Amino acid sequence: MPSANSLAATEPRAANAAWTQRRRSRLAANLFTLAFLAAWWGYSLTVPPFVLPGPAPVAARLYQFFTTYNLWKQAVASLEHILAGMAISLVVGSALALAAHYAPVLRLAVHGRLSPFLNSFSGIGWTLLAIVWFGIDEFTVVFAISVVLTPFAIINMREGLETLDRELLEMAASFTRNRWREFVKVVVPSLAPFVFATLRISFGVSWKVALAAELFGGRTGLGYLFNLAQQNFDIRLILVVIAIIIAFVYATDRFLFAPLQARFARPDASAGP
Amino acid sequence: MTARRFAERAIADGLVLAAILGWWLLSRRLPDFLMPSPWRVATTLASLFLTPALLADTAASAARVIISVSLATVLGAGLAIIPYRWPVTDGIVRDRITPFLNSFPSVGWAILAMIWFGTSDAAVVFVEVAILTPFCLINILEGLKELDHELIEMGASFTRHRKRSFLKIVVPLLLPYVMSALRIAYGIAWKIALVAELFGVSSGLGYLMLKAEIVSDAASVYATCFAIVLLFLAGEKLVLDPLSRLVAYK
Repeated sequence: MPSANSLAATEPRAANAAWTQRRRSRLAANLFTLAFLAAWWGYSLTVPPFVLPGPAPVAARLYQFFTTYNLWKQAVASLEHILAGMAISLVVGSALALAAHYAPVLRLAVHGRLSPFLNSFSGIGWTLLAIVWFGIDEFTVVFAISVVLTPFAIINMREGLETLDRELLEMAASFTRNRWREFVKVVVPSLAPFVFATLRISFGVSWKVALAAELFGGRTGLGYLFNLAQQNFDIRLILVVIAIIIAFVYATDRFLFAPLQARFARPDASAGP
Repeated sequence: MTARRFAERAIADGLVLAAILGWWLLSRRLPDFLMPSPWRVATTLASLFLTPALLADTAASAARVIISVSLATVLGAGLAIIPYRWPVTDGIVRDRITPFLNSFPSVGWAILAMIWFGTSDAAVVFVEVAILTPFCLINILEGLKELDHELIEMGASFTRHRKRSFLKIVVPLLLPYVMSALRIAYGIAWKIALVAELFGVSSGLGYLMLKAEIVSDAASVYATCFAIVLLFLAGEKLVLDPLSRLVAYK
């Protein structure tokens, strides 16, 4: 942290105060977590365990989860659905955004008709329709995730294409007449931050869609576990699945996407929906 | 220029027409429970807004969405103001509450609400508020971060009255962010209204949809999906757009 050091040299007192402030804030946050767990434990003593089990039984079930092969398989299945959905939606969304960019006559069709329609269509609606069309199947789940994520990809890639640096493109045009070469060497690298922004947003949204889709239209995945747990009134399993998802989504965003995006940094690239 | 605009329009509307035509052709070959004809879906859609019994369901969903969006915006704003007023709580709101709410799966809320509160309107509103609050919270937190500090200092030099400077400076500066929080929450609310209603209650569009799905009444499933698109667009054009114009002029 070179900037913090130079700040400390010039204004030791201010930097010190900021540091104390940050430490206090972190302490408060950790105390809050403890208070939350204590409140959960306290409340769980007053209600029957099928309404809210305490932290200890849930932790025990979590341990059981990690040591059982079948449960791992469901988690991996969910991850596969999500990655497939993200990949498909990124390809389709980028293709549509590129088509509208390079053939402006399609612009209204893509940005004025298709994208708002997809954007206002409910994910559960897609899931139930997909069940009608394809039956209860992995394909149904991947289809629902892809359709829900596609408008996010269109909107983000459009943003990226519209902020392309005109001067950079002119310079590229002066170097080569080969448009494909220009596209690969100049356009694609400038779009990279927006691809990351798309993936980051998609990842957060896809977990929620995936669970709903698997719950109603899947035979595998964590959403399917939800379905089983709900039928067996196994609220401990429900809480375990929720805890795993929160931990996984948070960790991925914090330790994978945030550093990656900071590297590709472009301040406006994180503009979400 | 006008010729190109015309071509753009023609292609966009032509595409919509082609989609409906393709749907109609498909529906003639496929059985009704798989692909009902556009005409049947349109009449079912109309009945969702015209038949009193079905209109009650549509209105129930709309009322829940409106109540939840308002509650979530107020709650999000309240949570975002806390670290602004007491900086010590910054870590609590930013690093604990926000990521927790933001990564909590929406189906999880729906199932938990059903177990905790049974089947009631309150359960549905709880689920919707729980899902929407993080979106509002993140937007308003962002707004508070972007506040013009010089303007606030100027305000402080004019009055020692903190409440006065908060109301006259911070609130107006924050309004666009509250507005966009409202807009985002509204957009998501209609989509997740179905999820919330699939579990808890015996009224609303989500309930209708699940009922239709069980008896393979595909026309009703399609119609509910389109009803949501229509209601969403209507609310945006009739309420949110005028409201944001009002905020922008201030």
